[in-house]
Amino acid sequence: MAGDKKPETEKAEKRFSRRAFVVGSGTALAGGALTAVSGTTAMAAQGTKKNAIDYPLSTKYLVYDSKHCAGCLSCMMACSMVHEGATSLSLARIQVHRAVLNQYPQDIVQNICRQCPEPLCVDNCPTGACHVSAENGNVRLIDQEKCIGCQTCMRSCPYSPHRPIWNPVTKKATKCDLCVDTPYYNKKGGPDGTQACVEICPANALAVVDKLPDQADNRGYDRNLQPPPKKAPPFGAFPKGKPKAKTEAPKAPAN
Amino acid sequence: MATPGFGGKILLVNLSTKEIRALDSEKYEMYGGGHGTATALFWEFCVAPGDWDLQDAFNPKNMVALMTGAMAGTATPAASRTSVSGLSPQCYPVQWFCHSNFGGAFATMMKFAGWDGVAVIGKAESPVYINIVDDKVTLEDAKALWGLDSWKTQEEIWKRTGVRFGEEWWHLDGGYSVQRPQIVTTGPAGTNMTRVASLIHGGGSGAGQGGFGGVFGSKNLKAVAVIGTGSIKIADPKGLKNAREWWDKTWPRAGGGFGGFGPASVSSCCAGCGIPRMCHNRDRTYSMDSDDCAESTWYSLVDHQTPTEINQKGTDICQQLSLNAMETCFMGPMSFPTDHNKDFPIQPKIPAYTALGWYMKKMYDMGIIGPGTKYDTSPLPMDAFKSEQFMEIYGIALANRIGIGDLLAEGTARFAEKLGRTDDFNTLCRLTMWGYQDHWSMPGVEWAYGNLLDSRDINNHDMSVGRKRGITCEQFVNILAERTLGKDPFWFDYTWEGDRAYKTGIYSESTAKWVAWHQHYWNYYKESVGFCDWGYSQLYNQAHAQGYGHTPEIEPKYLNAVTGRNHTFQDGLEIGRRAWNLKRAIFVLQGRHRKMENFTGYYYRPGASYCGYASELPIYDGTKWDWQNCRELYFTREGVDTFKTLFYKEEGWNPDSGYPTRKTLEDLNMKYAADHLQAKDKLG
Ligand code: SF4
Ligand code: SF4
Repeated sequence: MAGDKKPETEKAEKRFSRRAFVVGSGTALAGGALTAVSGTTAMAAQGTKKNAIDYPLSTKYLVYDSKHCAGCLSCMMACSMVHEGATSLSLARIQVHRAVLNQYPQDIVQNICRQCPEPLCVDNCPTGACHVSAENGNVRLIDQEKCIGCQTCMRSCPYSPHRPIWNPVTKKATKCDLCVDTPYYNKKGGPDGTQACVEICPANALAVVDKLPDQADNRGYDRNLQPPPKKAPPFGAFPKGKPKAKTEAPKAPAN
Repeated sequence: MATPGFGGKILLVNLSTKEIRALDSEKYEMYGGGHGTATALFWEFCVAPGDWDLQDAFNPKNMVALMTGAMAGTATPAASRTSVSGLSPQCYPVQWFCHSNFGGAFATMMKFAGWDGVAVIGKAESPVYINIVDDKVTLEDAKALWGLDSWKTQEEIWKRTGVRFGEEWWHLDGGYSVQRPQIVTTGPAGTNMTRVASLIHGGGSGAGQGGFGGVFGSKNLKAVAVIGTGSIKIADPKGLKNAREWWDKTWPRAGGGFGGFGPASVSSCCAGCGIPRMCHNRDRTYSMDSDDCAESTWYSLVDHQTPTEINQKGTDICQQLSLNAMETCFMGPMSFPTDHNKDFPIQPKIPAYTALGWYMKKMYDMGIIGPGTKYDTSPLPMDAFKSEQFMEIYGIALANRIGIGDLLAEGTARFAEKLGRTDDFNTLCRLTMWGYQDHWSMPGVEWAYGNLLDSRDINNHDMSVGRKRGITCEQFVNILAERTLGKDPFWFDYTWEGDRAYKTGIYSESTAKWVAWHQHYWNYYKESVGFCDWGYSQLYNQAHAQGYGHTPEIEPKYLNAVTGRNHTFQDGLEIGRRAWNLKRAIFVLQGRHRKMENFTGYYYRPGASYCGYASELPIYDGTKWDWQNCRELYFTREGVDTFKTLFYKEEGWNPDSGYPTRKTLEDLNMKYAADHLQAKDKLG
């Protein structure tokens, strides 16, 4: 956010040097690698002790339920709409990909920003545009005014597809900010507010939680978010309860 | 600058000349987008030049238009269907101008590529597919794809890009995407120009009725693939969110229609779908990305419990070959006993959905085809009828026109005609209007009238007029009168016998107005805007405090938030009326006349056996309203004649011919159509 202070980020930046990290396959990649590992198999970036970073944890995390996602892309359209005032799949900071001809559950992948405890996007940004926002629950977000469009955050994110996204019109990067900067949202967004994607999801496949999810693999983020199953009504059945019909009786018709 | 919600341009591809043009969408906005705009395009490029007789759907001059509406790509719930229009090879005896639609993310992706639709005319010299990458459009060689089924075709096109979709960002000329191209294609049933071929998008989103897969085949067109990285401007994003929340809060939804029974199985067909349970399945019994409609029971035999695995495989086969499931499946008589069933030569059951597979077997059992007849049934293994092997061979023979498959590929009506058995339309195979399977046996009065006046089984499921619990019949019809804005409860009087049928019942002016309302509604809101039949219209909702459905408030709320217009619900009906009248003018040029608009005979006799979606309908007996069992409902010729006169008058058509009048067309700003009809001596 413009005017937002980011003392932690700047401090950390000074102490942090690019480091190797381990990904799911065991391959060591430089922080600047374009793509690291598929979203479904990604291991969280694991720093060595020596380079441990003390970024404050985000107070909120977006989690998802890939087994129950309906693949409707509503979250993506809602995301771009509240941030940009226009719907777009390419400008959505949550990326759901539906591979319709794959067998369940490989038919849908949800790629969300993990608000990493050790955010390499933040760590590598040369201008401090991508930062930990103390004023917004320590969400990792990109100050559009400071972004110089170098794409370092995109390359640094260890997940693939990279979670920071590119806006080809403004020529700047953006990323999931849990709806902090949403001029077109009808609600207060951000970690203390609501998130457009969570709100719109008709399948209960997105939620925001306080506790840092397990970083070991995707299981901390990809979890069953469904309420306990209710017995479904039979086809064509009506809900229980009578409507309170207040409509007046019709007048006697003309013969 | 495009109107918010629209891409702003329509792609016109002439496959004969390889000309690719962008038309300005704004010019067609008065037709509403989708099918309405397609009707206007068809007029402009196929009718106005006056250089063919509008009779053969496989003529290269025919158009197949895949159009979107204002809602696609805006996350408006259940509102992003792609409409398909053009002359239909399935319609019988005339290949009428017709329509179908399919769900999924195709319409949405078209919009993100900046297009409101693509209209294709002409015929390519050799197989091609149309590749749309934002505003770059190319005709790609599809020789290697031509023989592939609908799934392999899509996989092959994806493979050609070399991208690991979903795993990396795809860098395109104009932007970036994680998505794969959305593709609509047809399998062998289409490339072999059968009259029963669907268009398939994804695993199981399909446009079946109309047989537009065969039109693709006739044009040497294998597929349309689109990837878009752009965005769609929303006039009032906050208003759109508010509208959706208001909808969520005000209209409680209880399941609804099709869809998975349990959260694990749910998946949405349309991008943006917000209907709980939705209509497709991720891991259900049936198949991948399949919904629960006709394809999921394609090989469900009437007198046989088809094993689940065979059923599932059948669904896949039907989609891959691109067979119109409703037309080619094995549905047959169902068990709805009535007093009149004994009049029928089949069995004491109502024939419903007597589709091609069932009819073919019946012909075999009756010795009309098969050994000793001039119709060899090879390659069908008739002695293995209830087997997986039979199912597969039937599908393959049909889609590839092999042996008896060549005859079957003409569809039930033309197959029966070839056998010299058109009387069967009336008895055994019960074809409703224009060669289509009856959708159950007479699915509803307004549905039946819709079939008669349009060119296909209209397949509109929103006319929920059956008995409701917890409310009196009188209250119910008043709610409908209020919500349609028609203010006339007699629109919903289903009295079908005696004088009252003419005064307030199914032959009355009230019914004519209700049928007209319905045509205008779906011509605009469903076929043109893209609202899904499972969500709209909704006139009644039992869970709402007053029993109100979300129609007529939600449609303009969504539309206005997206487009920034200030349209009323009636404005939409008026756009629908315009498109409907232009379509009527096309029908008339194709030969439609009042004299042709008669139901198949069985609708006129006891045992037409209305089954509808509910048999207990509102009846006004002269003093009071009550639901009555209308299972025995049938029409009379005199009654339908009266209805036609009233309906034509209601629409501003000449009651003698059914032709639109100059005044009607000019009032709708379509003087050009009146002039053309006049020049052809067909003005009403
Ligand atoms: S953009 Fe990537 S590195 Fe940055 S917080 Fe999100 S997932 Fe972590
Ligand atoms: S809105 Fe929910 S169901 Fe739809 S794609 Fe997003 S996460 Fe999946």
